[in-house]
Amino acid sequence: MPGKPKISGSVVAGFPSPAEQYLEPPLDLNELLVKRPAATFFVRVQGDSMIGAGINDGDLLVVDRSLRPASGDVIIASVDGDFTVKTYRRDKDGVRLEPANPNYPVIRLNPGQELDYFGKVTACIHRFAGKK
Amino acid sequence: MIGLVDGNNFFVSCERVFDRRLVGRPVAVLSNNDGCCVSRSNEFKALGIPMGTPYFQLKDREAAGELFFRSSNYELYGDMSRRIISILREEAVEVEQYSIDEAFIFPPTTAAADYAAYGRRLRAKIFRWVGIPCGIGFAPTKTLAKIANHIGKKKPDGVFLMPDDPTDILAALPVQEVWGVGRRLPAKLHAVRIITAQQLRDADDDTIRSVGGVTLLRTAMELRGIPCHEERDYDADPDSISCSRSFGEPVTSAEALAESLAAYTAQAAAKLRRHGLLAAGCNIYAQVFASCGGGDFLGRTVVFPAPTDATNEMLRAIREEVDALYVAGTRYRKTGIVFFGLEKPGTAHQMDLFEDSRSPFPVPRSPSRLYAAVDALNARYGKGKVFSAAQGLGAKSWHMKRQKLSRRPTTRWDELMTVR
Repeated sequence: MPGKPKISGSVVAGFPSPAEQYLEPPLDLNELLVKRPAATFFVRVQGDSMIGAGINDGDLLVVDRSLRPASGDVIIASVDGDFTVKTYRRDKDGVRLEPANPNYPVIRLNPGQELDYFGKVTACIHRFAGKK
Repeated sequence: MIGLVDGNNFFVSCERVFDRRLVGRPVAVLSNNDGCCVSRSNEFKALGIPMGTPYFQLKDREAAGELFFRSSNYELYGDMSRRIISILREEAVEVEQYSIDEAFIFPPTTAAADYAAYGRRLRAKIFRWVGIPCGIGFAPTKTLAKIANHIGKKKPDGVFLMPDDPTDILAALPVQEVWGVGRRLPAKLHAVRIITAQQLRDADDDTIRSVGGVTLLRTAMELRGIPCHEERDYDADPDSISCSRSFGEPVTSAEALAESLAAYTAQAAAKLRRHGLLAAGCNIYAQVFASCGGGDFLGRTVVFPAPTDATNEMLRAIREEVDALYVAGTRYRKTGIVFFGLEKPGTAHQMDLFEDSRSPFPVPRSPSRLYAAVDALNARYGKGKVFSAAQGLGAKSWHMKRQKLSRRPTTRWDELMTVR
């Protein structure tokens, strides 16, 4: 209808919220713990071989496959078909996977044997109530 | 330039990421209801056991420890597929997912200097990030990219760039192996002395049109290097059934997002019925506008309680997952659905005890009258008074048989991979 003004949008009565210009999205654990969703996997710890590194039975590990392992990193690798979490060491003696518990042996790779690397552990989630 | 990326022996490769004992062994993944081999490892292929071999014929060799089998773990394959697609979306200008394990990509202009090197980088990234080996083929058209991909897959570096003059390659390729030629046309083509892809390319348009109409002419044009396959024009090939659209304007409401996915599901389901097929499940996805860059990709995998072509059953199955795709404040660019686990009704399926013998499942059930009655009863006596036995009581009899199912370590908290 010509001449008739159109009103669109909402009319806000009162003063605008002083917080409005400071609004931000809430903190998101995914943003903190999962940098690359396409390469990130979650795995469950079974046993106490890494207890000295703060990794307990039943903990959830965040694993990033995109990261290459450096000596000293906690990694997931497959040894004889089973997945294990250990500290990766690489020096003049070769490659070895170290537990953080004296009751477990160090796993040494034979010269020429290739590490079946799965990914690097980037976080350990330990829950106090229940394992799930 | 168009690239076709596909996962080598995709289902088997997904299984191997989480079960290292399967590496180097003859492994096959079985179809819906553990019917027949649908994905085979190279070791399995080397034994000369063809695709589609029924599982029961191989059980003895499995018991003897010679062969290894897994049921179709669509939850896992769907998730791994989404991961690969999201990497492709980061690395390419445009991605069209064609099936659960195949996608066409349009490389960025920076790749033009050396497409093969770009392909090798992309392939290495997918392998490192997700653990799946891929083949990649580049060519000026989709039909030629398919051929380049097949060649690439057999090369040590997995990548092949179609030469400017592909005549030698096309001359060595039987015409029935060209994408879109199908299963019925070769006999007719042979009758007019078109045996190879090169002969199809070089035949005159009238001959081609008289044998296979405009569709075959399009295929021939593609072989000549002239792109004719428009986006999502995959109706000719029932290996894949999908539907997706970019929105005219960004979608921001949950309702609109759900409506779009429901509409595409209905369209894709209609396509499925036209081909007389059932689907075991689907991937639904949404692409969002990001503040900068290509935009994020959100996806969900849904496995239907039983293979189906009924729109209402699919909508019910995807409803919760559609809700999960919605994030308030997000601007959506595109949504879509891709079916997987396609099969003909009545194949590789065993009758269940409680099925109506007059209409053996999975022949599509007509929902109209029954559901009208159920809806009326529920409206009158309260929601959920009358429900399908498939939801509860007889649930197990409706579910797909998957006795050799591996864990679903990427979609279920209680099925995570364990490490010691």
